[in-house]
Amino acid sequence: MNKKARRTALALIGGAVSIGLLLTGCSPSSDGGSAPGAVSQDDIDTAMTTPTKLTFWTWVPDIENEVKLFEEKYPAIDVTVENVGQGLPHYQKLRSAIEAGEGAPDVAQVEYQYIPSFVLNDSLLDLTSYGADELSADYVDWAWNQVSPDAAVWAIPQDVGPMGHLYREDILAKAGITEPPATWDDYATAAKAVKDSTGSYISNLGATQAGQMIGFFWQAGVKPFGYDGKETVTIDVNSDGAKKVASYWTSLIQQDLISTDVDFQDQWYQGLANGKYAGWLTAAWGPIFLQGTAESTSGLWRAATLPQWKKGEKVSGNWGGSSDAILASSKNPIAAYELAKFINNDHESAMKLATEQFLFPPQVSVLEDPAFVDQKSEFYGGQQVNSLFADISKTVDTDFQWVPFMDYVYSTYEETIGSVIADKGDLAAALHAWQDQLVKYAKAQGFTVK
Amino acid sequence: MTQSPALSGERADFPVLPRRRTSSAKRKQHRAAYLFLLPFFVVFVTMLVVPLVYAGYLSLFESKLIGGETFAGFANYARALTDPAFLGGLGRVGLFFVVQVPIMLGLALFFALALDSARARGSKAIRLFIYMPYAVPAVVATLMWGYLYGPDFGPIAQIARAVGFGTPDFLSPGSILGSMMNIVTWEFVGYNMIIMYAALRSIPAELYEAAEIDGAGQFRLAWSVKIPAIRPAIMLTVIFSIIGSFQLFAEPSLLNAIAPNAITNSFTPNYYGYNLAFINQELNYAAAIAFLLGIVIAVVSYVVQLSEERRERREMRLS
Amino acid sequence: MTSLDTRSIVTTGGDATPRRKGRRFAPERRRSLLLTVLLWLCVLYFVLPLWWLFVSATKNNAALFSTFGLWFGGDFALWQNLHSLFTVRDGIFLQWMVNTLFYSVTAALGATLLATMAGYAFAKYDFPGKKVLFSATLGAVMIPLTALALPTYLLFSKAGLTDTPWAVIIPSLVSPFGVYLMRVYAADAIDDSLLEAARVDGAGEFRIFRQVGLRLLGPGLVTVFLFSLVATWNNYFLPLIMLNSSDLYPITVGLAQLQSAASAGGGSQALFSTVITGSFVSILPLVIAFLFLQRYWQSGLASGGVKG
Repeated sequence: MNKKARRTALALIGGAVSIGLLLTGCSPSSDGGSAPGAVSQDDIDTAMTTPTKLTFWTWVPDIENEVKLFEEKYPAIDVTVENVGQGLPHYQKLRSAIEAGEGAPDVAQVEYQYIPSFVLNDSLLDLTSYGADELSADYVDWAWNQVSPDAAVWAIPQDVGPMGHLYREDILAKAGITEPPATWDDYATAAKAVKDSTGSYISNLGATQAGQMIGFFWQAGVKPFGYDGKETVTIDVNSDGAKKVASYWTSLIQQDLISTDVDFQDQWYQGLANGKYAGWLTAAWGPIFLQGTAESTSGLWRAATLPQWKKGEKVSGNWGGSSDAILASSKNPIAAYELAKFINNDHESAMKLATEQFLFPPQVSVLEDPAFVDQKSEFYGGQQVNSLFADISKTVDTDFQWVPFMDYVYSTYEETIGSVIADKGDLAAALHAWQDQLVKYAKAQGFTVK
Repeated sequence: MTQSPALSGERADFPVLPRRRTSSAKRKQHRAAYLFLLPFFVVFVTMLVVPLVYAGYLSLFESKLIGGETFAGFANYARALTDPAFLGGLGRVGLFFVVQVPIMLGLALFFALALDSARARGSKAIRLFIYMPYAVPAVVATLMWGYLYGPDFGPIAQIARAVGFGTPDFLSPGSILGSMMNIVTWEFVGYNMIIMYAALRSIPAELYEAAEIDGAGQFRLAWSVKIPAIRPAIMLTVIFSIIGSFQLFAEPSLLNAIAPNAITNSFTPNYYGYNLAFINQELNYAAAIAFLLGIVIAVVSYVVQLSEERRERREMRLS
Repeated sequence: MTSLDTRSIVTTGGDATPRRKGRRFAPERRRSLLLTVLLWLCVLYFVLPLWWLFVSATKNNAALFSTFGLWFGGDFALWQNLHSLFTVRDGIFLQWMVNTLFYSVTAALGATLLATMAGYAFAKYDFPGKKVLFSATLGAVMIPLTALALPTYLLFSKAGLTDTPWAVIIPSLVSPFGVYLMRVYAADAIDDSLLEAARVDGAGEFRIFRQVGLRLLGPGLVTVFLFSLVATWNNYFLPLIMLNSSDLYPITVGLAQLQSAASAGGGSQALFSTVITGSFVSILPLVIAFLFLQRYWQSGLASGGVKG
């Protein structure tokens, strides 16, 4: 046995012994959330000049470039970036590590809707005492409310996805439509015209894409979820407003005016590229994404606002986007906070994220930077797409909330709504089944359901 | 015994001596046997038994997002027995077992017998080609079949359209189980074939000589000599297939990315358990599901073996 | 825990004439055309998906979705695909290949050693508790470990083993099937009288194992080694939950991650063509190993492993 193997053997025995600890229910818990007096500039200076290793879990491609800027500014800090998976696998690993009390990163990417689930078990650090509350003016209001629904600040916003409408101008023109549909009624009419005269679907409703549907709810002013930060949740996914949205889509699906392919699949990619879909109701990260997917159709696309429920109104919802949170278990909270702040708040870094990784920014300074908003896009016939979405971003409802078990909400959406979409059934009716499952689960988990 | 051994005297001990020697030799051998087993069982216990015991312990508790862990006795087990999701998944893998396993093992047996008969040209190459998919990880196999099944660009659909059959939908809720059976069959026919083929190659020559005198044809030979002779090997593949089908996990979890509306979260019990633990955060319930599934597998394996033994006995009586 | 009762498998085999003959029944070799054609048609089923994989590895992303799947089309892009595969994320793919190789060879060597010692002991010694231990070994296979992933992870984490190569290698050392194979194999391949003779000569039990046992167990060792190698090579779930650092991923987990990155699209992400080329490259080593080692598989199994 070499030394390493012997250490391992010891570790194994240690493991067996510590089962005893586990069995007695003694798991290390970290008390996040409690804010111990404000951190002074001295503390920060000391922390940022002390050699420190940080781990940062994120799936943003090439974020190493922004991290490099940070490391240049703070040479003492050494950041390891790990991509442990995209979306669900990322959270599973994060939860496992938190549960185990070991192996969690210092900074982690967290999408807005998952923040409450980590707040619930005190896994995130409240950033107010680190000075995060002073950043609120740097971000669009609704994005800031996502990371700071109450007095506490749980994360720094990284990117957002206010929703708009990308469409093929050429296909719509063939159907005699020259202006993007202004209302949802117009959109339904246009859908029929497009289908009849070109055979294309006006767009695709991702069969299992809860994010898109919730974005539509958000736009319609529906508030399906609420959480008081403690033990009370609101679940109202079958409200009249939600049913109105669901019925609208049911009607389009049943008339075969909209396709319901599973999105983010090779089939779906090809559908975007070959004109099977004449448009995509998507978020602000969509335009660049589409550009990479449907290169051959460059110049044929245009961007517009979402169709509205009431003529003349200007409201939108949000789909996607992430923040960077600091884990309560971090041994270097100050440096970790400075990293999350730098990446998403430093103008150079935030501009890089917006113009190189094409994450749509929540930072006001970027949204006002001509280098960002005045960009003209060939793919969209020279349109200033960023400027359009920057305007849309101002119209997103500010107090949309979540429940602290969105993984379950999404997975039951797949089960209850997704299967009904696939069978071209009645979505509004399926909302009841979804509601029942969610309430049952929430009660079983000990929540008070309002 | 009244006399102490020490007092019984050396001389009187003569006949006893060999026995003593044996028993001390036996002891030495016992010790050696335990030492041989030790390394395996150290790893076995730490890596398998301890997590099992821990999970068994966990399954007796109930844990809520609000309120934490409380002792629940067998409540999780009771819940599982009335949980339509668990029972539905169990039914699905049961169906999988009843349909897919006979097909897969039938094919494997056919190939093994065909190759053993040495009547086909290039049998060495055939054997290798059939066996090859076993070298392909489930991750790659599922990914590959996912592309092959694709309704727009998958070659199967392309061919079907070219010959006017329309576009088959392999990934719809109604056909996904069949598509999964195909993937598993593709992966494991070769593996099972090799086990059976190896058994066939080691059938003692005397058995054949007897049959040859009878003038038995190839089919008679296969049916009345070869298959009975390799019955234990077939039984082994059956048991492994029981375990394999009831524990189906990799295929549903990977296909879920391609066909999320066809693969429900409780598609197979094992996948359900995984989702319970990682998505619903119901770790304790997941542990109970795992144990119940283990019991089901053990019972099914036992029943299959028992019926096989009984059949064998009956046949022996008949002959 | 109910345990797998394998007596019927093990002993009925032993009851039948246990001694193999060197020669085999060899009827006059008449070839059957019908059977040949039938078998080769079946081979198509097993080979075509792999053929598709190879053909697809030579296509670029656009041709992948616009040409017939089972034949070459578009530009021959294999070299570009390989180039992007081995340069994506600073060439991490090569690291994944090396990891897989290291994990599976190490684990297979260890598993073979442990299984051989245990199987030998089960086959050649009678000792109290033998039956219980053997049943436990096989019975444990029936509990699905996926649902127990989190408990296992928590325990590993306590021992500080998560996110290390050990988290993948050590659990892979347990091969109940290997123990089973070695038990049956040793029972058949090692004559008790040889052991007795060695004992009379005064050899210790371990020397007997080393000098008599291991030598006779040769083909069985290779078989168990190859089975363990393939099992670890193809393992996806264990490394998926245990590892967080992409530097430590084996190829299965890495490919799945590339695939999900490809599905999510975006600027500098991997393309489907890269994932497909990666899949193709990843199965090459095992396929080649099969080509060269196939006679060992068969001989190991045939000469006693699972004999009829």
